[in-house]
Amino acid sequence: MSTIVADQITQRFGSELALDAVDLALDKGEHLAVLGDNGAGKTTLLRILATASRPTSGRLELFGIDGLRERPRLRALIGFVGHAPGLYPALSAAENLEFFCSLQGIGRARVSEVLELVGVAGVARRAAGRLSRGEQQRLAIGRAILHDPQLLVLDEPDASLDSGAADLLARVMKGRSAVLATHDHALANRLCQRTMVLRNGRSLGAGTRLRVVR
Amino acid sequence: MTRSVAVALAVARKDLTSEWRTRELVPALGQFIVLALVIANFAFDIDSQNASAIAPGVLWLALVFAGLVAFGRAFAAEREQASLEAMLLTPASPTAIFAGKALAAALLLIACEAVLLPALALLFGTPLNAGLVLAVLLATVGMAALGCLFAAMVARVRAREVLLPLLTLPLWIPFIVVGGQAVQVAMGATGNYNQAVALLIDFDILFVVLTSLAARFVLDD
Repeated sequence: MSTIVADQITQRFGSELALDAVDLALDKGEHLAVLGDNGAGKTTLLRILATASRPTSGRLELFGIDGLRERPRLRALIGFVGHAPGLYPALSAAENLEFFCSLQGIGRARVSEVLELVGVAGVARRAAGRLSRGEQQRLAIGRAILHDPQLLVLDEPDASLDSGAADLLARVMKGRSAVLATHDHALANRLCQRTMVLRNGRSLGAGTRLRVVR
Repeated sequence: MTRSVAVALAVARKDLTSEWRTRELVPALGQFIVLALVIANFAFDIDSQNASAIAPGVLWLALVFAGLVAFGRAFAAEREQASLEAMLLTPASPTAIFAGKALAAALLLIACEAVLLPALALLFGTPLNAGLVLAVLLATVGMAALGCLFAAMVARVRAREVLLPLLTLPLWIPFIVVGGQAVQVAMGATGNYNQAVALLIDFDILFVVLTSLAARFVLDD
């Protein structure tokens, strides 16, 4: 069973066509990089795949489940990192994750493990608003894997991360299907088996990383 | 059901913890309330004869404007931090998340009422009794449910500060009319207090149920 089957996904914002009939398939455990210039439609596509928004038309199946009608059911299986970290600045790093444990319906025992995994265990008691941008991004990545999702949707997660970004992302993507939007072709090549290029909302095709590099 | 209650309590606890640590809202609202009462005290020629007639109106004006700010901030802060989406992308029910936000906003407004009612008694010489407190608390429940629903609706709109009162105030009128009646009686005017309180309970049930049903559609894009 495929993790993602997206068929003719189209998104319009008023008269603007943000995504134009994009097709996409992702197998279990596979990592796909979505490349493209600013405004190419990467974020729009990833938000749809993460069930954060609905496309204007098209069909989306995630884990064999209708991704447009059964969105609440799918959310336990998906982890999403968007552009903004979306943390609570007055709560500590650990409290942020503990709060999301309550929403996910999982035990708080997972928090220390995740803080360790994303490399912010040392600042666990510091308010999220006082963390550096990179630490906040690491915490947002930690929140996305808190519930051990089968699919990770990562929208430019390397933004504001230091040189250890690739290792961190490799750790969190291991054993999961993942869609990663990035401008960093080297990172895409290192972490993903396949690459898809978007331009002006249209898919220029997907291929293995070698084909894209050529 | 148990899970929804746990989610609602977690959301409320998170909001109250954030407010306790930042002290952004309640101190400002407390000051606003005291200032509003002081201005009203100077603006009206208050004496022992007219205090019980004027004080309920002043109380509801202060409460309504404090409520608009408190409920407006409930969702505006989430949008500014981009944290609402993170919450909604969990399996937690949007209705439970909404209930938690409304509960926290209602408790913050009740904290403001703890300043408002004694200050009103002090400045206007009106009685402070259980009947008065009950009427204000009952009105707060329904006002919080409606206020938070509209706050969630307009949070993504740029002109939310204008839209929120336009949408909310007309639907708060029943609470102001009936609550005002109950408060007047509690302050010594003649009237049927029990009937007004029963009507407030009816409004609370109606609007809490309606907003809970609507919350799912408002929050889940």
